[in-house]
Amino acid sequence: MKTNNAPLSVRDLKKIYPSFRLEGVSFDLAPGTVTGLIGRNGAGKTTTLNAILSFVRPDGGEVTFFGLRMEEAATAIKEKIGFVSAGMTYYTRKKLRTITSVTRPFYPDWDERAYEKYMARFGLEEDKTPAALSNGMKIKYALALALSHRAELLILDEPTSGLDPVSREELIEILLALRDEGKTILFSTHITADLEKCADRILFIRKGRLSADRPLDAFADDYRLAEWEGDMPGDAAEKALGVCRVRKGRTALFDRADAEALGLSARTPTLDEIMVHLDREEDAL
Amino acid sequence: MKLLKKEFRLCLHPTALIMLLLSALVLIPNYPYAVSYFYTTLGLYFICLDSRENHDAGYTLSLPVSRRQAVSARMLLCCCMEGAQMLLCGLLVLVNRALYGGIPNQAGMDANIAVAGQGLIVFGLFNLIFFPSWYRDINKVGGPFLKASVAVFLYIALGVVAAYAVPFVRYQLDNARPECLPARLVFVGCAFVFFLAATLSAYRLSVKRFEKLDLSL
Repeated sequence: MKTNNAPLSVRDLKKIYPSFRLEGVSFDLAPGTVTGLIGRNGAGKTTTLNAILSFVRPDGGEVTFFGLRMEEAATAIKEKIGFVSAGMTYYTRKKLRTITSVTRPFYPDWDERAYEKYMARFGLEEDKTPAALSNGMKIKYALALALSHRAELLILDEPTSGLDPVSREELIEILLALRDEGKTILFSTHITADLEKCADRILFIRKGRLSADRPLDAFADDYRLAEWEGDMPGDAAEKALGVCRVRKGRTALFDRADAEALGLSARTPTLDEIMVHLDREEDAL
Repeated sequence: MKLLKKEFRLCLHPTALIMLLLSALVLIPNYPYAVSYFYTTLGLYFICLDSRENHDAGYTLSLPVSRRQAVSARMLLCCCMEGAQMLLCGLLVLVNRALYGGIPNQAGMDANIAVAGQGLIVFGLFNLIFFPSWYRDINKVGGPFLKASVAVFLYIALGVVAAYAVPFVRYQLDNARPECLPARLVFVGCAFVFFLAATLSAYRLSVKRFEKLDLSL
């Protein structure tokens, strides 16, 4: 079998819970790219990340990091990856200095100068505790730790949730700078506007299945969005992938080919619009 | 060692250290001394509870370590606390004897080396029941502690009764006569073997369960 040395390669990942199934998730991350994992709440984004990182045990499939399997080379893999989750803050009453001094010895490649650089760049003070940091600063501290051990792959779970627009923008700029340094980033979010600014590729997950794995621009270009004041014509309604009510009428999402065949005056939708309209289709089923 | 250091610096709850000071209960003239060991297990409960609140599993497993190593470090930390109390109790038993000159304890075993044997049995029982049960679901700490505490208190109650009702305990262990020292040493030796076997079994079972556990982080 051909060895896949991609920073992350996922094949037929499966995790079954009594009330939720994650199935058939397969993708590869190219080095030095930002990939967005999108989907509505409960679609399976966090389950996918947890299964990839072996926090939950997959019921099937294979996950390799840089060609290595977690079951066989967990230590080597974890030295090369950094995981940042907005919803998780460790040891909120310990000083950052203490957490760092405990973390540092685990990484043979720890770069103290990089650590000092990122702490200064992110405006973090070691005497503070995580409890005294804003959500944005907590994310930055987690990033500083990950980058100081020279993580080549960063896996971020909803890092912009709960951040104000300025902090979100700042984080996006940091991620773009890291991508320029050659880091690979997998970024789960339901705030798709963030990805439109930084993602090279989109993984769209719906009801536990990966429904799209496309470059960002191509993904948006696969669809067209048309608007009507009042009711939609019958032939358009038949072909619509999802319809939403808006203040003055309706918007509908179409495959690009269908929109062109119908001769609709339509535009390229945003990621948000694609997600919302496709979920309307699901709800209608 | 790195993980053990992490356990001491990030996970050791101050309550666990305060509970160690309750080893001084062996200075009370009439008291079931084995109860002082229960307080250390209460300290271990606080360590595990605090770990849950601080998302310790998420932090630990994002470090380059395996789940097996994470279990080893946590159990080693707890064994260190148990060992510290054994030492502290040993010293305080000597103080007790110096203070009271061997006045019999009306509430269980007299202050002598056999109390250390009781401690080893209490800790062995606690480790055997608490850890495998906790590693089945690390977000549920109370249930495993309750189960382990019931077993520990049953054993303590049995010990108090045995000091009156079981001739071997009453005449060989529950006194400080030098001629009974071999019996007391044999008891402590057996208790140590029990502690080792129970803790080792607890470790193996805990690793097995933690390996399978889906962490809801």
